[in-house]
Amino acid sequence: MTDKIRAKARELLESGQVSCFIGYEEGTRGRVRPAFVYDPQDADRLIWDERCTHNLAVYLHQFQRPPRRGEEPPRVGILLKPCDSRSLNVLFQEEQIERERVYVVGLTCQGVKVNGQPEERCLRCSERVPLVYDLVLGSVPKVVGREDYADVVRLEGLPPGERLAFWMKEFDRCIRCYACRQACPACYCFECVAEQLDPQWMGIAIDVPQKQFFHVMRAYHLAGRCSGCNACEDACPMGIPLSLLNRKIAREVETMFGYKAGQDAVTVPPLATFKKEEALPL
Amino acid sequence: MKVTTRDDVTAWLDGLSERFTLIAPRAVEEQVLYRPVAGSSEIAFDFSRTDLPVKEYFLPATHVLLSIERGEEGVSVEEPSLDGEQVVFGLRPCDARALRVLDALFLEEEPVDPYYAERRERTALIGLACREMGEECFCTSLGLAPDDASDVDLMLTELADGYAVQVVTEKGERILGDLTLEEVEGTPPKPAVREKTPILEPEAWPQHFEHVYWVRVADRCLSCRLCTYVCPTCRCFDVRDYETPNGDIERLRAWDSCMAEGYRRIAGGHNPRPTKAQRLRNRFYCKFCYYPRDFGPVACVGCGRCISQCPVNVDVVEVLEGVAAL
Repeated sequence: MTDKIRAKARELLESGQVSCFIGYEEGTRGRVRPAFVYDPQDADRLIWDERCTHNLAVYLHQFQRPPRRGEEPPRVGILLKPCDSRSLNVLFQEEQIERERVYVVGLTCQGVKVNGQPEERCLRCSERVPLVYDLVLGSVPKVVGREDYADVVRLEGLPPGERLAFWMKEFDRCIRCYACRQACPACYCFECVAEQLDPQWMGIAIDVPQKQFFHVMRAYHLAGRCSGCNACEDACPMGIPLSLLNRKIAREVETMFGYKAGQDAVTVPPLATFKKEEALPL
Repeated sequence: MKVTTRDDVTAWLDGLSERFTLIAPRAVEEQVLYRPVAGSSEIAFDFSRTDLPVKEYFLPATHVLLSIERGEEGVSVEEPSLDGEQVVFGLRPCDARALRVLDALFLEEEPVDPYYAERRERTALIGLACREMGEECFCTSLGLAPDDASDVDLMLTELADGYAVQVVTEKGERILGDLTLEEVEGTPPKPAVREKTPILEPEAWPQHFEHVYWVRVADRCLSCRLCTYVCPTCRCFDVRDYETPNGDIERLRAWDSCMAEGYRRIAGGHNPRPTKAQRLRNRFYCKFCYYPRDFGPVACVGCGRCISQCPVNVDVVEVLEGVAAL
């Protein structure tokens, strides 16, 4: 697979179809990290294995602007897993990225691992083939997970007081570093509510009320938009189980609107539109 | 060397926790963090390095500098001060050195930061030497050692059946109190150290300022604040006034981060550091060029927290080697 990725990246760069290819490379201390290849000769830096957890779609935002005024924004090639491809669909739906500016090398996926352990999201994942791609590599894997929201249901079963206590304890550890937001492809506001100065909704304090407000606000802003890539939880230095919050909302959206985020590039997401039959009686 | 038993140390710590706010490594979910503890039973003795540094007890993440209350008698201003005295137990040499680094700015430069000074003055530091250098540690490259006792008041080194105790300052002598020490032959075990990373002198940094290297390293940077908030020497803050729900005014100081896009934005909306490459470069220049030039010490102690926590593997050791090779 690695050889095929390198060959394709080299071809795309050599032919000038893309000016950068975003993939994975070997990092330091046995880690894998996002790689940006500009020169076809560097394509051999690229790798693919089960440590490739990052959702690279987040990096497409930084290629939106032209290098110089008056020029076209660059075209980029990108390696996407099935979960990451849903993020890209969300960005297409929201008209953040033009389809023709991205060459997607999609990968079928057996699931990825952190420290040798399968990621929880992979055990729940039933989509093993990317939903959007120009080229797909790999065969269709047999392993298929199932999302039963068991942990969400367990938490929902607790009395409200205990649920609140659970989340307050988790949010208490937050340091407001925004790694979750920065790692999220769907969090691309020029100015986040959490940092807006006029009006200042949250203030600068790094205290439990601000942390609670931030995480709840972020979860709501991702309603119907979070595709479950779990980049936020992977990035969190404090081990806050953000997937619980995001999947709770995803489940509500699924129940209320029969909608799952990022399944295609054209559907208008439920929270971006309004249907007459959804009107509440006055 | 002077030694004592494990039981004596735990009893001594229990005593300290009654007289002072005892801050020590404590297991919190999957992590180990410096937290106030009620006694020795809450202390995690078996740790390599805490997940967050101790700086929040000297430069709190959020700190009410003053509050203005409107009463019947008019307006009153209050500056909350620290309650009693603090003792930090289990400080690793790198974290202790980090406080010395902060001292260079907050205490040794005018104006002295009174809030930091108060906390520093009223806190005793009990060091605990590292058994070995952790996977991401590079303290030796910064002139430290995993058993360096120069920045604490009292230094403990784990032995097979107790601790070696080294009194470093007068404050340490006072904290020691009636802990029974026995004089025995020998010296505490020396932890193994590994090869040093060469670090450029501050004067050598400016020539690499415009190098495309910084843009390439920053490609993958997420521009979050993680590295600055887990860093024991990052010390930027913001100050703002807020009205509380009951109509009083509070002046808050809270951590800020040069990695945040809005950090350098000025009135009128101009941002002198608009790209993440400029921000990432600034963080490295601050640590290894500006801070030593302006205040003396290098603003890095080699604790390796940013290395272990960065979600996209921006590795300070790799960057230091990279810059040296430019």
